[in-house]
Amino acid sequence: MSNSREQILQSLRRETQPFPYAKAPSTYLHMVPSGDLSPEELETIFVDNAQKAACIVHQPASQEEAIQTLLDIVGEDRKISSWEPDQIPVHGFESALDKAGIAYVGEDALVNVGVTGVDAALAATGSLVLSSGHGRYRSASLLPPIHVAVVSRAQITTDLETWLVGQRTKGLERMRQTSNIVIITGPSRTADIAMQLVMGMHGPRELHIILID
Amino acid sequence: MEVQSNNFIPAARIAIHDVDLRTAVAMGTDSGFVKRQAVMFADGKAHGEAIRGQAAAIKRNALNKLPDLLEQAEAAMQENGIEVLWAADAAEANRLVLEIADRHDVHSVVKSKSMVTEEIGLNKILEEDSIDVLETDLGEFIVQLGEETPSHIVIPICHKTKESIRQLMIDKADMPPTDDTDEMARFARNYLRQRFLDADMGVSGGNFVIAETGTLCLVSNEGNIRLVTSQPRVHVALVGIEKVIPTLEDYATLTQVLPRSATGQTMTVYTHMINGPQRDDEIDGPEHVYVIFVDNGRSQIYTSDYCEALACIRCGACLNGCPVYKVTGGHAYGWVYPGPIGAVITPLLVGLENAKPLPYASSLCGMCKEVCPVIIDIPRMLLDLRYDLVRSGYTGLDWNMGMKAYAFGGSSPRLFSWAGKAAELATKRFKLNSLPGPLAGWTDYRSMPSFAVKSFHQLWGETNGDLEGADEQ
Repeated sequence: MSNSREQILQSLRRETQPFPYAKAPSTYLHMVPSGDLSPEELETIFVDNAQKAACIVHQPASQEEAIQTLLDIVGEDRKISSWEPDQIPVHGFESALDKAGIAYVGEDALVNVGVTGVDAALAATGSLVLSSGHGRYRSASLLPPIHVAVVSRAQITTDLETWLVGQRTKGLERMRQTSNIVIITGPSRTADIAMQLVMGMHGPRELHIILID
Repeated sequence: MEVQSNNFIPAARIAIHDVDLRTAVAMGTDSGFVKRQAVMFADGKAHGEAIRGQAAAIKRNALNKLPDLLEQAEAAMQENGIEVLWAADAAEANRLVLEIADRHDVHSVVKSKSMVTEEIGLNKILEEDSIDVLETDLGEFIVQLGEETPSHIVIPICHKTKESIRQLMIDKADMPPTDDTDEMARFARNYLRQRFLDADMGVSGGNFVIAETGTLCLVSNEGNIRLVTSQPRVHVALVGIEKVIPTLEDYATLTQVLPRSATGQTMTVYTHMINGPQRDDEIDGPEHVYVIFVDNGRSQIYTSDYCEALACIRCGACLNGCPVYKVTGGHAYGWVYPGPIGAVITPLLVGLENAKPLPYASSLCGMCKEVCPVIIDIPRMLLDLRYDLVRSGYTGLDWNMGMKAYAFGGSSPRLFSWAGKAAELATKRFKLNSLPGPLAGWTDYRSMPSFAVKSFHQLWGETNGDLEGADEQ
């Protein structure tokens, strides 16, 4: 189809490798070294790193309290952007919204709050992994100035390395079916103007994490 | 972009007298440098160095397999629903983007920061075709308002003070006067938001492509890349052919080493893995995703002694550590890639004859290699480029004559010793404190040291007897 393709590939085929002594690592060091961690230790590390990345972490004692935390963040607004309730791991989310008279939509550029679940939470960097898919809208974690992510404790994983190896174990085909994966570490920011940190550049300026069982 | 690298010395001379520029550049580079040190070695020097070694091995292993990896990546991306195109040079890359724009009836484009698109001058080409182009990274947006070019790989407006940015936004974008950085950024956010929602096509670069999964990987802090790659109907990514890596494990290392080296973050706010257009059961995301592999001189570097330069992951750490970049800023380098890595890549991509001063724009202190996350031996390549310059006859007559004179004197022990004696007489007895003619540059801004009364050879002779005998031992 393309002459340039053949031409480029042809010109890259050299007789000897450019770095004959270079090999892929046989085992990969993790960016942050860690031994075996208990779930409690993982949670502590995750919360600490998420806070360092300027996230606001809530650790409600029950599902009801989690719902209340969520409603408090939504405040007076009667419309939010949200993933489908079956994608968010908190019981009674939909009925609570109903009761409070809050409508939810997949994509809306004008609402204040976006609610999502996550695929995983990475302790070593305080990051959230979100994949797109049915009922999992990209815009909910992007367009509103406030993003609320509901994370269940079982979703906390050591680090990016561990999560990616997990994907390999589950089968890469499954991962490739997902059109878009974004790993979010804190709210959007910029330091382009004279190295002064400004939160909330193009994405949310507040990122709330609600940790539940 | 027009190459002005042969103008390095006059441009640098102007830059080092610009107090605002030096203040701004020092602030940006020092901040990056200090934060990098802290995070790279947070778990100890040995661990940090081992990670660098791992990243270096990953990139070199990937380059070893480059043609195979490109084919593997192409097949995997096609399976994922991404259309893959190839561009031999800048003209072809631009033509491909125009064809895509035409096919999808595109009138407005939002762009995220991409060095390759700077390299091929894409914005101008799109504008000539009556397509609206808007840079969306805050720094690049300000660069576009000022009709300038970026001066740093990671911090595009590293050369600008807050005051000059403020004035530019007031003059060119009708920003209500404010001195508050938050308000300035919020103004830019609102200015750009509707354009994002209305744009037909998003154009991005690419930090990595994972061959085994056909995944396009990007990083950003502002969130503009998320908007560029998910709001418009069409997403086009221009990616240098050297960006392909084999596996997810390789990716995990590189995508974390990059922000650590660039800004001292453990992860960027948004780390993107894009596997293709929106699937049938999704309501948002682009309908079409294109990846254009751009060569534009890279395959020539690949088969040269400078292949190592292709390992660069564009973190900008070498700029932040470089004593030359810190005083000249990026524009003096005269093209897209500034700093130590730019001094290597620019002559290789635009031709040695068009960037003759750049291999000399270094004190060879070695800091660039020391901070490079993939341990690129930039000083070695700068020296080799100097060798190439001399061999190709691109060095000036005064340089060549000086070197010939030194070679002549240095090859005869007697002449060498006479020259030493003459230097001692001139500086000690006749108080010579500045050098004449082409050598004046050395003494205009530093004091001329006086030579010792007794040379090393003399002292050696006095303490160890016969010099020739000492040489033979």
